[in-house]
Amino acid sequence: MSEDSNPAATPTPCQDIQGDGRWMSLHNRFVSDSKGKEPDVVFVGDSLVQLLHEFEVWRKLFSPLHALNFGVGGDATQHVLWRLMNGELDHISPKVVVLWVGTNNHGHTPEQICGGIMAIINVVHQKLPHTHTLVLGLLPRGKSPNPLRERNASVNALVQAEVVSLSHVSFLDMDPGFIHSDGSIVHQDMYDYLNLTPQAYQRVCQPLHERIKSLLDKHDP
Amino acid sequence: MSAEENPAAAPASVVDVQGDGRWMSQHNRFVQECKDAEPDVLLVGDSMVQLMQQNEVWRELFSPLHALNFGIGGDTTCNVLWRLQNGELENIRPRVVVLWVGTNNHEHTADQVAGGILAIAQLLLSRLPKSKIIVLGLLPRGEFPNPLREKNAAVNNLLRASLPRLGPVQFIDVGGSFVHSDGTISSRDMFDFLHLTAGAYRTISTALHELLLQLLEEMPQERRASLV
Repeated sequence: MSEDSNPAATPTPCQDIQGDGRWMSLHNRFVSDSKGKEPDVVFVGDSLVQLLHEFEVWRKLFSPLHALNFGVGGDATQHVLWRLMNGELDHISPKVVVLWVGTNNHGHTPEQICGGIMAIINVVHQKLPHTHTLVLGLLPRGKSPNPLRERNASVNALVQAEVVSLSHVSFLDMDPGFIHSDGSIVHQDMYDYLNLTPQAYQRVCQPLHERIKSLLDKHDP
Repeated sequence: MSAEENPAAAPASVVDVQGDGRWMSQHNRFVQECKDAEPDVLLVGDSMVQLMQQNEVWRELFSPLHALNFGIGGDTTCNVLWRLQNGELENIRPRVVVLWVGTNNHEHTADQVAGGILAIAQLLLSRLPKSKIIVLGLLPRGEFPNPLREKNAAVNNLLRASLPRLGPVQFIDVGGSFVHSDGTISSRDMFDFLHLTAGAYRTISTALHELLLQLLEEMPQERRASLV
């Protein structure tokens, strides 16, 4: 699927409709972080990435790995693509880029969303040929079974299939079993049935931390 | 300004455009919590309220006061009004209600937003005649000076003048420390120039908590029998 026909793979900045320019402020700060810092790990994505930075788990597990957080709430693949193509990867050489995006791609098909994620992976590889990209699986959402859960599961299956043959990319399923036997997700895990509580972040971040550490070890044996 | 004239005072539920019904799920959960719990304090509003419960400060300062959190990210005055009229005040008699909403009312003018907040305060007073209300001022937002800061400040000025006339309603502005002398807001206080970091929540919660303790102390707890 070419960029022209896939909106999820067409780099697009966020328009400032509200009037306080917050999206661009965040992007500019990330660009300036890239000029000044030397991260080993860069997290990129939407609110699931952004909010991770605000809880204790970031300080305990990811700060020690020299990680930067380039998450922006509400971002879809086309927004992350634009950000990475417009400065956020310049001047740095992280060993690992952790990518978690796709759940906000409303109106796009699983194929389009997968195409968007692959476009991001390609940009990272072009700019940082020695960097490993770790793609995180989209989580289920909503209190009860709904089409977005199916969409996210399809995206995960498509992405997993695409990256299996790429040595510079790997995929990690982030769902520790949030869906209960009755099909529900509880607010103790997702307070708004989308974003994670601190305790849910603890659960998903243990395996993520292990995987990143093993990727870092492989990078510098 | 009546509901007919003020769109910010017209109750409205959130339409599920995304497809997973999350807003209604959250509302239904709050309605159920009203059946199960007997809160002394109720906090209601948008993400500023909702995220408070995900921070340490909730467990330390507000849980001990038997507080319930009915915040939903993205909510406008219209959404909060609808929720309170559709079950989120049933079966509970909180002694204090804290209201924090208005920053998401993008379609409305400062006058309209203030009118919407007043309408919610009036609803609370009529449904809970023995309760006191605290209205939190809208915080400044955005990294640099911008029209939304002016708008939120204008809403606050209108509220400051008109809220006390309604009855046992207090207005507190907890946003005083966030704008630096160069006009910027730091991401150490608002990680996305809108939502508060843990440190900033701690700062604003101290003032709010003190006021809550003061109000709760002034009000003798009703004996349960009198609630029947």
